[in-house]
Amino acid sequence: MQTIFSTPKSIKENSTFTFCPGCDHGVAIKLVAQVIDELNLQEETIAVASSGCSVFLYDSLDVDCIESPHGRACAVATGIKRAHKAQGNNKFVFTYQGDGDFASIGLGESLHSALRGENITAICINNTNYGMTGGQLGPTTAMGQITTTSQSGRNKEYHGFPIKTAEHIALCEGSSFSARVALYDIKNIINAKKQIKKAFEYQQKGLGFSFVEILSSCPTNWKLSPKDSHKKIQEELSKIYPLGIFKDVENE
Amino acid sequence: MSHIKIDNNKCKSCYLCVDVCPKKLIKKSETIGKTGEYIAQFCDKNNECIACAQCAMVCPDIAITEVIKS
Repeated sequence: MQTIFSTPKSIKENSTFTFCPGCDHGVAIKLVAQVIDELNLQEETIAVASSGCSVFLYDSLDVDCIESPHGRACAVATGIKRAHKAQGNNKFVFTYQGDGDFASIGLGESLHSALRGENITAICINNTNYGMTGGQLGPTTAMGQITTTSQSGRNKEYHGFPIKTAEHIALCEGSSFSARVALYDIKNIINAKKQIKKAFEYQQKGLGFSFVEILSSCPTNWKLSPKDSHKKIQEELSKIYPLGIFKDVENE
Repeated sequence: MSHIKIDNNKCKSCYLCVDVCPKKLIKKSETIGKTGEYIAQFCDKNNECIACAQCAMVCPDIAITEVIKS
């Protein structure tokens, strides 16, 4: 008898995710929990949740969590990290945000945390819309994508172009690691876990701001089945948002 | 006899596990789950499960709580 898989220890017992069926948020939280278990970080971790669907992180993840104002997760994480450092505690601090939170409302906080080289980790779930409020156009909505606030598709004249977050963070001199991963098949899920682990390890080594953007599905607002949502990421979105590592200070 | 455990209270009937199983051992059941849809069910009459844990990796709700190899 050998247990190949069991529920991660960092997931609260009997907790049920409140996400829609097929939502990749659950997979992302599971990967974060597995990495926390593997690095044995549960006792010293402080997670910073944001507004949006990503807020449900602290319903299920069994670590200390704090809620931040919309978009300000990186600023709150900066404060926590610095205050604990001043007292001689070395806490592990990471933020878990959506794309609207990280790249639109909180772009200033996020980008300047990276520029300052704050020793925190940010995980950004990119599902190309504002999922919780009903699928409005977000900063990462692809050109031509139909949302509730772009009924004939996103166009450059009115809405402008989408932001490529991972590339932007890679340009900041203070960042140590920036990668974009996806969760549409097993190979990519394994790779996503590897990159999240790397980002967490870079913070432990004190190398600076580490960042992982996760391309994830939103079946409810895309009005597709969970299977077709993964197909859309594989065939369309991963062409627009190329997967890969954009910055890695240890391998330069 | 390798097997998996599915928590019926957590399954939201997205059927991602049904598509990913290389041996096609997970099927729609006839039991209604909390979302009002037929939940996933593991049926392995001929002990074909290879405990690859792909279903557990892909499940967004950690409804597949354990994968045991033996």
